[in-house]
Amino acid sequence: MPEHVGQSVKKSGGRERVTGALQFAADMQMPGLLHAKLVTLDCARARILSIHAAAAEQVEGVHCVLTPADLPRPMPRYGPVEDDRPVLADGETKYYGDPVAVVAAETEQIAAAAAERVRVQHEELPGVYTVEDALAPGAPLVQEPSLRPDSPHRDSNVYNEWHYAWGEAEADEADLVIEETYRFPMQVHFAIEPHVFAAAPDEPDGVVIWSTVQHPFPLRRAVAESLGLPAAKVRVVATEMGGAFGGKGYPKFEPLMAFLALRTGRPVRLALSLAESFLAGRRAAGVVTMRSGFSRDGRFVFNRSRADYLIGAYADITSSIVSKAAYIGCGAYRIPNLEVTARAVFSHTPPATAYRGFGAPQYLWALEAQIDRAARRLGIERLQMRLRNIPDRGEELIPGDTPVDGDWKQGLSLAAEAVGWHEPLPPGHGRGLAIGVKSPRPGAASQALARLHHDGSATLMVGTTEMGQGSKTAFSQIAARALGIPFEKIKVVCGDTGRVPFDAVTASSRSTVCMGNAILAACEEIKRKTAALAADAHGVSADRVSVSDGMVHLPETVLNYAEAICSSYGPGEGEVMGLGEFRLPRDPEHPLGGPAPFWEIIFFATEVDVDRETGQYRLTKLVTVADIGKAINPAAVKGQDEGGSLMSVGQAMMEQFILDERGRPVNLGALDYRIPTTQDIPLRTESLLVENADGPGPFGAKGVGESGATAVAPAIASAVAQATGASFTELPLTAERVWRRLKQQERAPDTSAPD
Amino acid sequence: MQSFDYARPSSLADASELLVRRGDDAAALAGGTDLIVQMEKGARAPALVVDLKRVADLGDGIERRDGALRIGALACLEDVARDARVREGFPALAEAAGVIGSVQIRNRATLAGNICNASPAADTAPPLLVYGAQVNLFGPRGRRSVPIEEFFLGPGRTALEAGELTESVDLPLPNGPTGSAFCRLARRRGMDLASVNVACRLSAAGELRLAFGAAGPTPILVQDEGEVFLKDEATDALGARLEQMAEATRPISDVRAGEDYRRAMLRVLSRRALNTARRRLPESE
Repeated sequence: MPEHVGQSVKKSGGRERVTGALQFAADMQMPGLLHAKLVTLDCARARILSIHAAAAEQVEGVHCVLTPADLPRPMPRYGPVEDDRPVLADGETKYYGDPVAVVAAETEQIAAAAAERVRVQHEELPGVYTVEDALAPGAPLVQEPSLRPDSPHRDSNVYNEWHYAWGEAEADEADLVIEETYRFPMQVHFAIEPHVFAAAPDEPDGVVIWSTVQHPFPLRRAVAESLGLPAAKVRVVATEMGGAFGGKGYPKFEPLMAFLALRTGRPVRLALSLAESFLAGRRAAGVVTMRSGFSRDGRFVFNRSRADYLIGAYADITSSIVSKAAYIGCGAYRIPNLEVTARAVFSHTPPATAYRGFGAPQYLWALEAQIDRAARRLGIERLQMRLRNIPDRGEELIPGDTPVDGDWKQGLSLAAEAVGWHEPLPPGHGRGLAIGVKSPRPGAASQALARLHHDGSATLMVGTTEMGQGSKTAFSQIAARALGIPFEKIKVVCGDTGRVPFDAVTASSRSTVCMGNAILAACEEIKRKTAALAADAHGVSADRVSVSDGMVHLPETVLNYAEAICSSYGPGEGEVMGLGEFRLPRDPEHPLGGPAPFWEIIFFATEVDVDRETGQYRLTKLVTVADIGKAINPAAVKGQDEGGSLMSVGQAMMEQFILDERGRPVNLGALDYRIPTTQDIPLRTESLLVENADGPGPFGAKGVGESGATAVAPAIASAVAQATGASFTELPLTAERVWRRLKQQERAPDTSAPD
Repeated sequence: MQSFDYARPSSLADASELLVRRGDDAAALAGGTDLIVQMEKGARAPALVVDLKRVADLGDGIERRDGALRIGALACLEDVARDARVREGFPALAEAAGVIGSVQIRNRATLAGNICNASPAADTAPPLLVYGAQVNLFGPRGRRSVPIEEFFLGPGRTALEAGELTESVDLPLPNGPTGSAFCRLARRRGMDLASVNVACRLSAAGELRLAFGAAGPTPILVQDEGEVFLKDEATDALGARLEQMAEATRPISDVRAGEDYRRAMLRVLSRRALNTARRRLPESE
């Protein structure tokens, strides 16, 4: 029997993806399909005075113009945490792109032309587009206080505030104290496949949704609640996605499509353009003010920070984003006294949602830079400085939570070694280090249904969705090993709430561990049941039958699965099902609802070559070292680390979603929102893995996927700082920004960059 | 994108007549890499698109003609960038053509289209300016030739009159030994519009032609002459002369770069382009 786990088996569906054979949501053919187009305004915040749809309705081929008047009152609202997002703008648009109506027509072109003929009388209102504006006294309120009467923040633009502290939270004295404010811009996910949402009436009295969605179960709840339907009457099919990165996590326009489908009695699809996708979800901007105290020998004495995250007009999943980032305010370091106050701040900007790395990158940008600054001031080498503050395996990281579950010093040292940390620097070059750490969603459950068919092949039915990350492949490898059957005999059915059992989310690097364990449990149940069937059919007691390596061992004989099943059900009939479940413990006393099952940690090392005259720099090396316990599929794991870190290279060097003074995007689309090309990526990348089989997942695995995108920017900035002698507080680190800093420095030398 | 009529004339006369007849409602299309993007964004909405690719008397060749290298209106940028005579005699143009867009775009986009689009940031404009190119036009009143420095009138505006089409671009062969180079700066290393670009041609006699892109409403050509340009020394005198030449520029701040950064980079790129051009001067006896 071939060993599958630990091998770089080719990604299932990989060939179809790169040859264009994969059917994406936009490719689906449906008889009678109507095409939808959102009606939006050319401004951010506006009071809607009236909507005149007659001219649009008269366009040939238009089937429906749905306005708020066609929806139930009060306006249905939904969201993963707060039910605060209206199906259509409710009297006021809250951001540029907020839909006021929607058109359904025979073709996309007709829908687009008709949408332009919907006349919306409106009055533009002043809005808030930055943290500072939103928190200013007398700032216009983004959310009506009546939407959240019980919130202590209802009369402000603060959605919520989280406070974490340990040790002596008031500690404020140390040999060296550094205080600085760091800024991280809004960024968009830029999945190559834009969002697609479709809905159709489903007999009887139900609705089916096809969506580019990572989490079909939370979406099912949102649609069911918006329409007042039982969950059983809503089927959500998560199509295979061309990239998601968190941007496709939570409900967007699916409830609207459901209303439209029920009203027209036809299937309806809304396929966004890339530019429209920018307005459907983006990363929260961050402003972090951090005050750090260090002893003379470079150890953290205290760290106090205020982190403000600029979110959109709706809460979406930002409570988790901000609270989780603040909760691990120590990063990967031993900080005896810590205090973090973090806020999510509403604004009249496109919705902030999950983005690979969740809230960690905004916070780690500050924390890692503080360590560099301190190292320089104390005259301690940056690697040594970090090693002195990294806790040992088994040591407490956050009081009361899971202790350190890896050899983190080993990981950082490996990264430093791979980048040539101790080798002489070529002129104009600099090197940098940073550590990214986060944890998966706590307290969540995954269920898996495994079916062993009459011929010994198997189907796994799981709520995990496939967006290119390769979960299907990893699951097949895990099940192949557990059942002892060839990888090729396994099919994985993903993310269709009408067919698969429950899964919380496909996010936070949790699927391999959580769904992987559920699959293992399901396979164990299959083996138990098969043993029992065979025992019964052959008249022996069950304890005398065992299953291993895909064979059923009876006292007198050995059967393969097909023979065992047929011996019980008859030739060509029957199957054996196993239902597995894996749940992370829920703890109502825990600030996040439960402890971390593992720490997802990664070590970055970079080298850059800086052109001082232009500020341009080239990444000559980028090393990642991920502590992943056990790689089920090493190529896939490295692919995740490379993909995440290259995505972050763009975020570090050039990506920022810019709004004008009226909240309208300045760089809406690929022409002016720049992501790296092959010419911008590092000359050399290396992705190394630490495998100590010390994770809670199958075969000792920990999760992977997000970590690559957590702390590349500080590692790059650290290298540029070493090369130039200038240090940085604001992203992206464009050539122009580097040049400006160097010019400033000519006038006033910077003392915080590493030597 | 708004729907439009499409015509594919087979002669220059027919194409020109269509453009005259439909006036501002019509747009000429060769590679389409600017036009289609503008139509997609809604920036242009022509009622008629006149496809020039099947016009029999428009060539896509590059050939020696009367003391010049003639580049046909349908020659794509990739062909320009790869052509041995262009690389040898007009390296700044080869370099500029070779950094526009991606390989796919360069195989589609034409040199003539790049100048007719008249973006102030057009990468091929500064090289054509330093090489003193002539733009050969065909129109309702016959043929005429316009010096490239008179071709650009403003962003998106050229000397083309109603119904006029670019038939070819001539690059006069230099009289004596010259060296030339192209430099640019963009937000990323490829597939981007220039934040600024500079082309430089230096003759063995010390005649210097510099052209700047994304530095004003049109690409700008400036000239000077002096021994100082021939010396491989970064002297203050050289700096002052280059500074003086850049005074003609009027850069703005936009999403690609700030005005002061553009100004500073024009200086840096001018010096770098000059250094490369000087190195490329043939060794004198």
